[in-house]
Amino acid sequence: MARYTEDELLQLKPEGDVPVNFDIESFKAVIDKVKEIQGLQEEEFQQFHRRRSSHHHGKPKIKHTKPKITTDSEGWSTFDNLARRKSVNTSGTLNGSDEDLAVKEPVVIAQETLKVKPNKNISSTKPADSRDIVADKATNNFNAFAALESDDDEE
Amino acid sequence: MSVEEVTQKAQDLSIEQPSTVLSNEKEFQLKHPLNSKWTLWYTKPPVDKSESWSDLLRPVTSFETVEEFWAIHNAIPKPRYLPFKSDYHLFRNDIRPEWEDPTNAQGGKWTHQFWGKTPDIDDLWMRALLAVIGETIDEDDSEINGVVINIRKSAYKIAIWTKSADNKEALTNIGSKFKTVLKLGEDSQLEFLPHSTASEKHPQPSLVL
Repeated sequence: MARYTEDELLQLKPEGDVPVNFDIESFKAVIDKVKEIQGLQEEEFQQFHRRRSSHHHGKPKIKHTKPKITTDSEGWSTFDNLARRKSVNTSGTLNGSDEDLAVKEPVVIAQETLKVKPNKNISSTKPADSRDIVADKATNNFNAFAALESDDDEE
Repeated sequence: MSVEEVTQKAQDLSIEQPSTVLSNEKEFQLKHPLNSKWTLWYTKPPVDKSESWSDLLRPVTSFETVEEFWAIHNAIPKPRYLPFKSDYHLFRNDIRPEWEDPTNAQGGKWTHQFWGKTPDIDDLWMRALLAVIGETIDEDDSEINGVVINIRKSAYKIAIWTKSADNKEALTNIGSKFKTVLKLGEDSQLEFLPHSTASEKHPQPSLVL
């Protein structure tokens, strides 16, 4: 059996490059290509698929703004919940004359639930909304007494 | 026949002189034969889901002499340069580096995992190769089938594949020498895993050094 120690084999190591019996350039090209693809995949993973590490960071910190409390001369403390708002016109600049108005509390509009029955007979002249009926009555009814009193008589 | 005639006849004899390094220094190429033919295999990392194991594992080249080994070793990229999920396998003759190969089926492997960055991994791999092709790690018989290095993101793994998995004495001798080759200290473990347990989820080593 042919045996060689590590030292014996190292002594037989050539100094320079020796040609090999296969296409080394193709082999290296395959390896380079794989490395390139892996690099791109890693870059893509870092950009789009990286999950936040829960181990190191825990919950994200959310900064809550504390309500401003004002105390008057009599010692009453109240929440200053009137946010000072600045009105901005369409061009994006501050409207100086509106600055005082902006302090006003925003108008709260009561939301009423309106039940509207759909008009089953779409060809009907009846209005779908009952409020429209009242409006129509006010405008369409003919008051004969009112018509007798002309503006010219009053003058 | 006179003495002169015998001398003359002896001089006329054309005895073919064997070719030596002295006869032609330039053209003479002495090669050192190895005990076996060895085949280098490479596992290409998958870059496409359609690639199967058989597509990825390919023989690169074979050699039978020390000089051929050095030519190949110097030319191919070293383990540190290889992409992750690559493997180099050096196996005797035509043994495929797979558990299914009949020569491997009853065997196992001595393995050690080098975690993290291992600056001298190229040197350790070369030492493992020299120990295997020089047959110094296997004194009694041709128990060694091959040697493998796995390049992974978190670790390098070097393993030596054996023909059998039950010859405890022979395997322990091989393992002890392999541990020296890999420069492993007392605190580092070398594990022997039979291939029969390789498909298990958490295979337990049958021997530990």
